[in-house]
Amino acid sequence: MTGFVAVLRKDLRLEARSGESTIALIALSLLILVVMVFALDPAGGVRDAPTAAAALWIALIFAGMTGATRVILAERDNGCLRALVLSPLDRGALYVAKLLAAFIFMAIAEVAAVVLMVLFFNLDFDSRLLRLAPIIALGALGFSALSTLLAAISGRIRAGDLLLPLLAVPMFVPALIAGVKASGAALTGAPVSAFAPWLKILIAFDVIFLATGYLLFDHVIAED
Amino acid sequence: MDAALIEARGLDKTFAAVPILRGVNLAVAPGAAAMIVGRNGAGKSTLVRLLAGLSTPTAGEALLFGHPSRTLESSARRRLAVVTHQSFLYPNLTARENLEFYADLYGLKDAHAEIPRWIDRVGLASAADARVRTFSRGMEQRLTLARALLTHPDVLLMDEPFAALDADGVALVAGLLRDAVARQCAIVLTAHQPIAIDGLTFDQYEIVRGRLLALSAEPSGVSASVRQAG
Repeated sequence: MTGFVAVLRKDLRLEARSGESTIALIALSLLILVVMVFALDPAGGVRDAPTAAAALWIALIFAGMTGATRVILAERDNGCLRALVLSPLDRGALYVAKLLAAFIFMAIAEVAAVVLMVLFFNLDFDSRLLRLAPIIALGALGFSALSTLLAAISGRIRAGDLLLPLLAVPMFVPALIAGVKASGAALTGAPVSAFAPWLKILIAFDVIFLATGYLLFDHVIAED
Repeated sequence: MDAALIEARGLDKTFAAVPILRGVNLAVAPGAAAMIVGRNGAGKSTLVRLLAGLSTPTAGEALLFGHPSRTLESSARRRLAVVTHQSFLYPNLTARENLEFYADLYGLKDAHAEIPRWIDRVGLASAADARVRTFSRGMEQRLTLARALLTHPDVLLMDEPFAALDADGVALVAGLLRDAVARQCAIVLTAHQPIAIDGLTFDQYEIVRGRLLALSAEPSGVSASVRQAG
């Protein structure tokens, strides 16, 4: 447990010091939302909640890929990933520590993205946003779990950062559809029962991604 | 003789059909030190990686504490320290923070009290709170040694630990190695050329065309503190 806490605390300390991940993630979210607003309705005016939800999830996906990549790449400096592999820390615990760091960076970016979404899409700061919170938290957790594993794979390959979106996005599509549907329903004020099935799909994919990452991370970071 | 803590049995390693190591046999007991020399590209770093469990042998076995190094238990990994060409240090953490991180990673609560002593011992007291990214290569190497030895390992694998060090740094490594051997640590280190250290006897080997050849043991008590054979 101390090793797990040490890795997580170190990642958060490095991020607090440089701000590289969160600044990049927030800037990316801002860029995506601005582009979406102008692409969907350049003349301005009232936007619908489902469209806002779709824009938010696009921002979530791209921000998540950036966050996970940076969490893994930080360990490639000076061979630090090798040090972690050689340490007594269980590889599964290492995976959870890294995905948790990616999730925290992603969650910070998502808070900023939600605020921007409300402003850009002329929505209200009301209780509907509270219903949105668990949906995007589940989405961020699942995507962090998937992209942390895939970032560890792509980090070993030449131009692997180009490979990450090619691998991550198609695999996340079912969860993405569920997330967009659930978020759209939550933002329109539909009852929880209306989007509960989508939430169940999100939870199922989170479990799959977490279990897969936990079991495979050891093999992924091992060298030939 | 005590059972070997570090052992290679018929170790082969091939990269892209090119044999790097062939039939390497090695055994290092507690309190013994083996020095492996060889030219650039001879396979020294590959051997260290294989012994550490960072790489899979094409054939043969690499053992630490009597177990395959590739699948060491957590409790055995706690007793292992590795020094490679990479420092394993985080550039945006200070020297002290790096050592604190490794102490926590290895679950060594008592090690925190030792960190100032280690920083002082490797001659970095004035740079303890400077970020590692501002360090010279030699300073990084000194901190790397502190990082490795902080955990009081029983097995120490060092790939060219004298690289980038000045004369004081080489003497520092020599002192650290003597202390480690004195507390029964088993050591494998690599170097380009044979190096003699006062008060320390190495079993010397050379890698030639992928094969590990035993050379004569280096006598202890060489007059110079450190002597590099030409």
